[in-house]
Amino acid sequence: MKFVGEHLLLGQLGHFFAVLAFVASMVASVSYYCAVVNKEESAKASWKKVGRWSFFIQSIAVLAIFCCLFYILYNHFFEYKYAWRNTSRDLPVQYLFSSLWSDQEGSFLLWSIWNSVLGIVLIRTSGKWETPVMTVISISQLMMSSMLLGIFILGYKVGSNPFMLLRQAEENQAAPIFQSAEYLSFIKDGNGLNLTLQNYWMVIHPPVLFLGFASTIVPFAFAFAGIWTRDYTGWTKPVLPWGLFAIAILGLGIMMGAAWAYESLNFGGYWAWDPVENASLVPWLCMVAGVHTCLAYKSTGHALKSTVFFFFISFITILYSTFLTRSGILGDSSVHSFTDLGMSGQLLIFMAVFTVPSIWIMIARRKEIPTVNKEESTYSREFWLFVGALVLLIAAIQITFTTSIPVWNKLLDITGLRNLLKIDQMAPPSDVMFHYNKIQIWLAIIVGILTALVQFMKYKDTPRRELTRKLLLPTAISLVATLAIIFAGGVHFTEYGAGFLAAIYFMLFASIYAVVGNFMYIFIGLKGKVKSAGASIAHVGFGMVLLGALLSSAKKEVISLDKMKMLSQDIFRKESKQNARENIMLPLGVPVEMGEYHATYVGDSSATGDAKVYFKVDYERKDKSGKIVEHFRLYPNAFVNTKENALTSNPSSRHYLDRDIFTYITATPPLKDKNAPADDSTKYVSHEVKPGDSIFFSKGFMILKDINTKVSNRNYEAKAGDLAVGADLEVFTQTDDHFKLQPVYLIRDSAYQYSIEDTLAPLALQVRFSKILPAENKVQIKVKEADSNSDYIIMKAIVFPYINVLWLGVIVMIVGTFIAIAYRVKLNKGGKTGAAKAKEPAKQKV
Amino acid sequence: MKKTNIILLVVIAVAIGVIITMVGDFSTYETFATARQKEGKEFHVIGTLDTLQHMSYDPQKDANLFSFYVKDKTGETRRVVFYGAKPTDFEKAESIVLTGKMEGQEFHCNKILMKCPSKYKNDQVAVGNQTL
Repeated sequence: MKFVGEHLLLGQLGHFFAVLAFVASMVASVSYYCAVVNKEESAKASWKKVGRWSFFIQSIAVLAIFCCLFYILYNHFFEYKYAWRNTSRDLPVQYLFSSLWSDQEGSFLLWSIWNSVLGIVLIRTSGKWETPVMTVISISQLMMSSMLLGIFILGYKVGSNPFMLLRQAEENQAAPIFQSAEYLSFIKDGNGLNLTLQNYWMVIHPPVLFLGFASTIVPFAFAFAGIWTRDYTGWTKPVLPWGLFAIAILGLGIMMGAAWAYESLNFGGYWAWDPVENASLVPWLCMVAGVHTCLAYKSTGHALKSTVFFFFISFITILYSTFLTRSGILGDSSVHSFTDLGMSGQLLIFMAVFTVPSIWIMIARRKEIPTVNKEESTYSREFWLFVGALVLLIAAIQITFTTSIPVWNKLLDITGLRNLLKIDQMAPPSDVMFHYNKIQIWLAIIVGILTALVQFMKYKDTPRRELTRKLLLPTAISLVATLAIIFAGGVHFTEYGAGFLAAIYFMLFASIYAVVGNFMYIFIGLKGKVKSAGASIAHVGFGMVLLGALLSSAKKEVISLDKMKMLSQDIFRKESKQNARENIMLPLGVPVEMGEYHATYVGDSSATGDAKVYFKVDYERKDKSGKIVEHFRLYPNAFVNTKENALTSNPSSRHYLDRDIFTYITATPPLKDKNAPADDSTKYVSHEVKPGDSIFFSKGFMILKDINTKVSNRNYEAKAGDLAVGADLEVFTQTDDHFKLQPVYLIRDSAYQYSIEDTLAPLALQVRFSKILPAENKVQIKVKEADSNSDYIIMKAIVFPYINVLWLGVIVMIVGTFIAIAYRVKLNKGGKTGAAKAKEPAKQKV
Repeated sequence: MKKTNIILLVVIAVAIGVIITMVGDFSTYETFATARQKEGKEFHVIGTLDTLQHMSYDPQKDANLFSFYVKDKTGETRRVVFYGAKPTDFEKAESIVLTGKMEGQEFHCNKILMKCPSKYKNDQVAVGNQTL
């Protein structure tokens, strides 16, 4: 059958490039491999040339796949499943990028593009390391491009083709709609992009994160190349800038994800120890450890093996995290993992291809890796760098262990040990945050203090007196600052008992110490030379991240507590503490006390072209005398699906320098109530009054001031011959506000009676001047109140103090790391700087 | 013995200690019946929403009380009480992972993880009654 309106060429082109990328990266891998193992110089050179060209070709092919896919999404060619699944016609253009990498295929593609870019940079810069390093990169490209193949090899489906047609998808093949040649004319719109992904962070966070993922392979490749070619030491020089780059970009990517979670997800925070977050944090910790041991090695010759180990596991944990998030194994434990695409086997192979050879070669040649037999001094920098790296390793192990619960379950099932040992299905801890925090906080304390101390130590040995002298001032300042914060009542966090509070105090000190120590080191140790202070600046940033994380979580306060309900029912129950009532109802127009604010829901609004409904919430802060000292409006918004009465809400925050007030909608009344044609469940109530009389209604009363022949009602348009009078009403409510209304009664063309209503929106009041009763000298006023309680929102509001310290810390850390990269690159270019560097140990620490 | 080796041993000891204490934190997946036997402890229960029975959430009375019925894997149906707002799209959830404990005949939960039909790829939603 010939189907009408399909654009098949693009998909075929895209699939062709996918196959080309696969073949070219295979050629590149083989050629680079041959270039390494071949003994003959001329053969080496020609293999290298083939390797380079095929790598270029695969890079172009990968880019072409990206372009084809983007073109399909941009033009909404819904015959392609990818376009149908992830886009809709009303999707703003910038979110097409989010659509592109919202599915597994697209994110592999993104990763693959970055790998290509990194590969090309390596071809240009890595000199004699090019062939072994590029062998590793090409193999990873081979694995990556196989994920996009979507072809069957020996009955096993390899990869998933992003250019699959909707009608070819397995679940659709039998669908009657696709039996019609004109089926496309029935598919008016796509499924659309998941609403939480329609956020600007989702446009920029994945590219940065995947660049971070991709960059972890470079230190892996260098370490592997070093052992493989038996040049056990030379690689430690070019690897450093790459290791730093990976730290910076992966760290930035993770924190951008945190920013996204903070701004668009309703977890009430930026970090939830979700498996997906953990999975990218662990490789970062390993990379940080590896870079630090690498520095120790470069200055002293110690810790080469651990450097290799850390660089290896950093990339291996990246592969493991890819497996966790993409195989569907996290199903019951994570909020945002991918669903299973049936590629688990392939992902395991991907992991094995890198894990097995690297671990094997490390063990097989362990004796050849040079070590120093002399023991490190306790007063040496390298010793504490090593200790710090081990602490990071423990952190990584703990996080991995708990995150892997679904894997343990699977392993127990596969090996049959579950029945043997009678182990239940394990589930994540019920208080996940505390589970991680109570262990990680101690590790963070050690790392924070080491960060401050170790800068002041020298490699090999430090004269003790000098060390104490230099440390005295920063230590004293940090102690005073910590005690000041504690005594100023800065931190109360008794929820988990005194032990944890003590840990928080220690951590407060550790993070302040890290900031102060490193900041002062820039002046004491480095004499204020910024170019070489990258490490110290990055450490200041790290300290700020710790401090910001500590303060914002320990001092976080939910202000939207439903105190009434708490008092009435829960206070005597044992869960009253646990089940804090954190949602509060705001009826339309009624101020509700929240912390030091009064919040009032004043209505909603929506704009054409924007699927979101914005809920307007006014915040007022009054001083003791009742004067309003601050007033602002927040617009927490939500995508409201009227058909299904579903709601996906986005928070809105008021940002201060020292805190954020974070507000989001948890529920709204069923929308059909609101959209129903003028809900006439309530009726007009008639009142016959004369001027001076009052009319009472539920929220107050109104006084008929006068019958006025000067009509000023905005709904009334005067016509010649009209006989119009208005009833001047003054409305008083329980709050001190009063309003004026003027409903109008008129006789037009001497025959027709009209009455023009006046309305008072905040009180949902409609007033009609319906009759004049000349005999009684009265008028008839009809009053209608809409059911005021039918419009309300349920919301949550949280105050995050000092969260800006965290975000600023991230920026400082990134800037510092890039200064360090620039410094390292310059040193490496300087060539024979090995000896010169040893004289300047102060600059070695990153 | 070299100092590095001692440190390594200490680290290994700490790591093992940490892991052992962690396993104690781990919860387990239970059914209502097994959770009832160990009343008072918190568990994870996987089940489906029993749509035949009444689901109640009246924010005008209490914005933090939501109750519904869940059928667990063995087919047992229990009333579930959640002290929080009703999660969005709750009716559409294919299966639900509840974290909480049995209290008499009811299951009181403080966290709901929903798995919605694979309309979207990020198709899970977690809701806690507390900001974690």
